[in-house]
Amino acid sequence: MKKRLELLLLLLAGLLSAACMDYGENETEHIAVDDTPGLFIVNEGNFMYGTGSLSYYDIANRTVENNVFLRTNGIKLGDVAQSMTIHKGLGYVVVNNSSVIYVIDIRTFELIKILKGFTSPRYIHFVNDEKAYVTDLYAFAITVFNPRTLEITKRIRTDIAGKSSPSTEQMVQYGKWVFTNCWSYDDKILVIDTETDTAEGYIQVGKQPTSLVIDRNGKLWTITDGGYEGSPYGQEAPALYRIDAATRRVEQVFPFEMGDRGSEICMNGARDSIFFIRSRKEYDNGREVSRDHIWKMSVEDTVLPTEPFLTNASTNHWYGLAVDPNTSEVYVADAIDYVQPGFIYRYTSRGERIDRFQVGVIPGAFCFNYFDN
Amino acid sequence: MKRSRFIPKAGRRAAVMPFCLLCLLGAAQGWSQPRGPELSDPDKPVRTIDIEEVSVSTRRNLSEIGVTKTVLDTVVLQQNIVHSLAEVLAQNTPIFIKSYGRGAVATASFRGTSPSHTQVLWNGMKLNSPMLGMVDFSLIPSFFIDDANILHGAGSVDVAGGGLGGAITLGTYPTDKKGFDLNFVQGISSFDTYDDYLRLTYGGPKVQLSTRFCYGKSDNDFKYTNYNKLNEDLVTHPVERNKNCSFRDLHVMQEVYWKLDDRNKFNAAVWFLDSNRGIPALNVNYQEDDRSNNRQDESTLRAVAGWDRLDEKLQLGAKAGYTYSNMVYHSQGTVNGADTNQGGAIAVEQVHSQSIVHSGFLNFSARYFPNRKLVLSASLSTSLHAVDSRDKYIYALEKKNYDTMRLETSVLVSAKYRPHPRIGLGVDLREESYGDRMTPLIPAGFVDVVLWPKYNVVVKGSVARNYRHPTMNDLYFQPGGNDTLRPEKGYTYEGGLEFALRRKGFSFEGEGAVYNSRIQDWILWLPTFKGYWSPINVRKVHSYGVELKGKMNIVLGRGWTLFFDASWAYTRSINQGDPMSENDQAIGKQLVYVPEFSSTVTGRLSWRGYSLTYKYNHYSERYTTSSNDPSTLYHLGAYYMSDLYLEKGLRTKLADLSLKFCIYNLFNEEYESVLARPMPRQNYGFFIGIRPNFGRGK
Repeated sequence: MKKRLELLLLLLAGLLSAACMDYGENETEHIAVDDTPGLFIVNEGNFMYGTGSLSYYDIANRTVENNVFLRTNGIKLGDVAQSMTIHKGLGYVVVNNSSVIYVIDIRTFELIKILKGFTSPRYIHFVNDEKAYVTDLYAFAITVFNPRTLEITKRIRTDIAGKSSPSTEQMVQYGKWVFTNCWSYDDKILVIDTETDTAEGYIQVGKQPTSLVIDRNGKLWTITDGGYEGSPYGQEAPALYRIDAATRRVEQVFPFEMGDRGSEICMNGARDSIFFIRSRKEYDNGREVSRDHIWKMSVEDTVLPTEPFLTNASTNHWYGLAVDPNTSEVYVADAIDYVQPGFIYRYTSRGERIDRFQVGVIPGAFCFNYFDN
Repeated sequence: MKRSRFIPKAGRRAAVMPFCLLCLLGAAQGWSQPRGPELSDPDKPVRTIDIEEVSVSTRRNLSEIGVTKTVLDTVVLQQNIVHSLAEVLAQNTPIFIKSYGRGAVATASFRGTSPSHTQVLWNGMKLNSPMLGMVDFSLIPSFFIDDANILHGAGSVDVAGGGLGGAITLGTYPTDKKGFDLNFVQGISSFDTYDDYLRLTYGGPKVQLSTRFCYGKSDNDFKYTNYNKLNEDLVTHPVERNKNCSFRDLHVMQEVYWKLDDRNKFNAAVWFLDSNRGIPALNVNYQEDDRSNNRQDESTLRAVAGWDRLDEKLQLGAKAGYTYSNMVYHSQGTVNGADTNQGGAIAVEQVHSQSIVHSGFLNFSARYFPNRKLVLSASLSTSLHAVDSRDKYIYALEKKNYDTMRLETSVLVSAKYRPHPRIGLGVDLREESYGDRMTPLIPAGFVDVVLWPKYNVVVKGSVARNYRHPTMNDLYFQPGGNDTLRPEKGYTYEGGLEFALRRKGFSFEGEGAVYNSRIQDWILWLPTFKGYWSPINVRKVHSYGVELKGKMNIVLGRGWTLFFDASWAYTRSINQGDPMSENDQAIGKQLVYVPEFSSTVTGRLSWRGYSLTYKYNHYSERYTTSSNDPSTLYHLGAYYMSDLYLEKGLRTKLADLSLKFCIYNLFNEEYESVLARPMPRQNYGFFIGIRPNFGRGK
């Protein structure tokens, strides 16, 4: 009997010693950057995994620090990190499916404030030092907050006559007008009057405008994805649009082939060239494949380029694109299989690859840090 | 420096613990039987058990030749009313259950494969969703199952094709009680959780009836410290409640068994379930409670009727079944109402996703026993699935995902032969079709040899080539469905050894298996250049590992008995596909959410109607990235869970009563078993069971 008790005690001790999970508060560390130019990479993470993250790339020294938000603040960035904007020395990181905006110090990555009260926030545009707009995928509203107080002040209704989808995305400003592309199941560029904070109207474009920029001539450029086969919203050939911001008139449409896809339109610092990702069908040993390439064209061009600026030899899809406003260097994100940390390629303004570095899962957005905005 | 959560050594140490326990189970035999004369006095047992030897039959079931099989009986299945089959599998087998918590989806990974690689049959009818290929085990109450058999690897070919990991057969059986019998269990548990179970049976000479009812309802709003958020002070962590996670599950099952004569039997079972479940918010979600609400409703009716005829040398069977399933996912969000300034938000349904499935099922089977050494079997199963899947969006758009019918047929011929009482040989040949396509032939071979009849020591082996055809979502879902997909192809072979010792007052049995599988054309959904996801045959997976299990029962005397059951598994499931680009670091890595080690232990000490049960379940760390990134963000640490049950049975003139008190998460662990999904700390359940004595036959 004594032996049996010993055996039982031994088993119990074994079980107890094994029963301790490693979970709880994350330790933090101090990571600081100097005033050399840098680049934030916003990694979406997997939807419903809560694996969004922030990476920081030192442009001069070509070094990268990953997961800086968690390492500095001890909490995760959240689910589907969408975009980041810097204003007055503070970084605003929009985390879409966590319905939150984190305000951080751009030198130390330390958390300054947590902005709550959003539905599905996407992008921020700073109208001035006391007014910022936050677009939203589902809310039928643009949320307005005061960057000085970091308090939400109002919401701008976007369900105006003729607009049936709640989606609002990227924003650019021309005079007192802010323009935002309505991507999800929509075909409009919404126009907001920043003096009255009301949606004044819209510009009709093709199906699902994905992104929006404004060039040095006051022309808006947007690129549509055209929907997809079987979509209840229908499908059409995607296209690049040039719109005059003053007259709100579509000046030229640059159509792609049916089934192609365009996205991630960006500008260089001089705002005289646009860059975008365009997928097109190609044939590889007789097999039809689709490849993402990076295309570049002057804002004065009236026809689409025939050859890509950067060629993607693989069938991996490029997920993100950014152009350095000071050097016109190009950064391209490879999400690989979307369930492992992705990579960023860095190219010179002439398209020569000069670096490659690993970041977080699904790198989707970039934010340059020149400490001047 | 940042603390590392990557603790492989600790994980392995903990994983080895149940392995040691298995060894100890063997060693324990030494304390249950007298030693030889060489023992010194201190080593002599205090009490000597009479070791009258019990003969161990070497006659083994012909249909199980060479098969690695785990049997879960009613004692295991019906231990706790709050348990679904997910908890039973997690706590008693090496199958990894990916569970989002009680009242939420739970899927199985068997031998490192995906959930759709485990085929599940209920009374011979497949439960796997024709849309997704997998089974949500959280929707199968363990009290509704009388018998569960887990067929590892190649053994699954005997019951279904496509079980690249294995198969699970679930059965309901007539009661062996005469007359009326009633069993009622009421459970009250933490977080406003109420469970009711009622079974009414009648056993007559010709007819047996059974009605089961199971109802579970919970707010499930446990508190937890959210380490993924900070309070306004940006220093401390908030204590939050699990949001939007209430559930209500109702199950009703009616069974009828009719014995026409000694040879012909009929049976029918109808199972209706109605489930309404919240989909819990992530612990990184900052939405206010009234701004978001996702729920999933499911109503499913399953009915199967069968006829069995047993002649001296021939056994015939036929079954017909029908399944209706209506699943609705609601995503409720917020849009702005009339007052667009502060507040004024109104909640509307943003997404309404509905899938309606009708499935008809027919099965014919025959088994011929020309002599006691040979059985020849054949079966034909056919299912017709009609699926209507569509989504509605807030802006009045309706997207039809697909509205399609598909006929699936599976034919099996099998021969099992035991030329010598100690040698068994078997072969299965299965052929399957889906739509207008056929899978290649699915062959499986089995062998077993009884090495040492006295201890029932048997070595066995099996080999199979198996195919799993694409699901209807894989082929037809818009957008993304890919009708050029090939079936997934798997080769598997395994070897094992089992033994059983039985003495008076002591029994000990164990089994070990080593397996090796290669799966090609693994179907994986990947994003396309068009922005949506689409499945392709992309991956090659090498899965291999070791499984050990043991069970021991010791009668200690003076009314005391001790029972142990343990399992341990080492699972490697490696991506051996081609790299997607120069950046791809997933090649040679473990598949996501597959633990390398898993183990279970159940210990029960019983004495005069009292029983104290301890349950332990361990999974080693799991990666959520295909490259096995070990950082805190992407990695789940090792999981150790302990539960303790104290039970007392009482017999009175009017009724048999049972009282049970359960402590779940005994060591009050804070943890996540799926990323960003908080789980409850220590919580409790109290159960009272009543079986009136009236109406019961002798």
